[in-house]
Amino acid sequence: MAAVAVANSPDPVVRCRSITKYFGGVQALANVSLSLIPGEVLCLVGDNGAGKTTLSKIICGQLHPDAGDVWIGGRPRPRLTPLKALELGIAIVPQDLALCENLGASDNVMLGHEPVQLSLGPIRFLDSRRARREALKQINEVGVQIDKLDIPVRTMSGGQRQAIAIARAMVRGSTLIVFDEPTAALGVRQTEATIQLIRRVARRQIAVMVISHSLKDVMAVADRIVALRLGEVIMDKAVSDTTALEVGAAMSSGRAR
Amino acid sequence: MSAPPEVQTAEAAEHQREGALAALWNRVRPATSGQMWRNAGLIVALVALGVDLAIQRPYFFSKENFEVLATQMVTLGIASVGMAALIISGNVDLSIGSIFALGSTFAARYSFNVDPLIAFAIGIFVGAAFGFINGILVWRIRISPLIITLGTLSLFLGIALVITQGVGIPNLPRRYAYFGQAHLLGLPLPVWCLLIVVVLGHVILSRTTIGRHIYAIGGNRQAAEIAGIRVRRIVIGLFLVNGALIGFTGALATSRFDAADVQFGNGLGLDAITAVILGGVAFAGGEGTIVGVMLAVVLLTVINGAFVALGIDPYLGNVAKGGALLIAVGLDQLTHEQRERFRTMLALRDLKARHQQSDEGVDVSDPLKTRSG
Repeated sequence: MAAVAVANSPDPVVRCRSITKYFGGVQALANVSLSLIPGEVLCLVGDNGAGKTTLSKIICGQLHPDAGDVWIGGRPRPRLTPLKALELGIAIVPQDLALCENLGASDNVMLGHEPVQLSLGPIRFLDSRRARREALKQINEVGVQIDKLDIPVRTMSGGQRQAIAIARAMVRGSTLIVFDEPTAALGVRQTEATIQLIRRVARRQIAVMVISHSLKDVMAVADRIVALRLGEVIMDKAVSDTTALEVGAAMSSGRAR
Repeated sequence: MSAPPEVQTAEAAEHQREGALAALWNRVRPATSGQMWRNAGLIVALVALGVDLAIQRPYFFSKENFEVLATQMVTLGIASVGMAALIISGNVDLSIGSIFALGSTFAARYSFNVDPLIAFAIGIFVGAAFGFINGILVWRIRISPLIITLGTLSLFLGIALVITQGVGIPNLPRRYAYFGQAHLLGLPLPVWCLLIVVVLGHVILSRTTIGRHIYAIGGNRQAAEIAGIRVRRIVIGLFLVNGALIGFTGALATSRFDAADVQFGNGLGLDAITAVILGGVAFAGGEGTIVGVMLAVVLLTVINGAFVALGIDPYLGNVAKGGALLIAVGLDQLTHEQRERFRTMLALRDLKARHQQSDEGVDVSDPLKTRSG
């Protein structure tokens, strides 16, 4: 119900309008439109080759649509690059988390966003103390305990690593975080914790887009579910208006009812 | 801001599984233990060599000899700083010997016609230009930089040979040669140059955003890209700056030797890689410090000097250098395996203890209960 009420709010974080994308002669996306509002968890589901990844890459600036446009912050953004998308508040948490295994938690969270003490042209001196403080604050907000901020993250547990990746996505004040298959490689308990983490991110009025294959996890985490099939949106419903059966059918056969 | 219980439980379970002793071990072990051990090893090797020399050849410890050694390590030292930064970023430049030849050739040729400082600038510029070519090639041709710079090693050397026809350039103008032989505050000018490059390299790598980004790129390039780091700019910039450093050290060497020869740069690339890896930089990137690399440069240079001083067949110097590298890398691997085995053993012992507890009626299924029980 809450999701529906917010859905009427006029300010989507990201809006895709009639996006079409071809790879050579193959149509990956056909006239796809959808929008994301703050605090909403949107799950993008569909079979392999349905166009989920293509759509998320277009939103993150890694690919360009052949037709249609992406609106971010109320303006169309042609020629979006990954860097520009990042600056506009769109962050991604990839399936493998993409952490720098050799660096500590603090360095990973603040990567590319380090507080600077003193600038001499291109040479900018790090303010490690402030970096650590901000990283710790962000990790705590994600809700995971990490006591050693300098130990290489390769020695850390799966939950801690995921929290670090999410904290890195949140630290720039992102307005949309895209999760690519966040639960694909996790066990039962870890999956549960991850769903909690994602809900907690959304509670901070951040729009969340989750790409997933797992019907169970989708039903647990989503406010709204968008199903793609062969590049077309075949379902776009609030989770309260649909059932696992319907979503499952949309994912596999492509028929909504 | 308190952590929600469900997440903490999972974390606690993992920590518990590791065991109390292992947790203690983790606390004691500093983050850069590998580098610390390596530095300690290098210092021990240096001291051992020093003691041996002190007993057999006391004159080795004269001011004059130190000055000679310091001057000898200038080229390798400067080259190793650039090489360290490149390898930490996950790249490598095998072609620096050829860039050295080009930089020194151009600087020496122009030293007859222009102001020495401009001749130096030409050497730096030529080095930077060829370094830039390496950077562009590495960026555009998505294949290991090892292969690409293997190609440019030969290519650049060929260019230098075509230009010089393999003939050295002797008897450079005195005002040019002055720089390589002058002293400032009791130290040869080239040694000052080395010190400045080392300090700058250390500060930039360890204290600045660019340095942190270099480590990040070496650790996980994709992560660096996701975090908005301009990876291409940094990698190409590294090759360029490395080339400039090599061009500079090439000009400096011709100035010191009062002559230029294409052969001077022979093997510089491999020597620098040896020093960098011996100094604790991981060839896969992401790990290492300038301090460690400089310890290795000093060790390699002292080995050279010691073999001369002790009257040992200088060709055995190569055996010593190669041996040192293999021993260091091998020990690293061995201690790593030992550490892992130790941690596994501790974890197993802890698990066994908990199973015994469970036989006495303590529930081990919930880690939090185990801890309080």
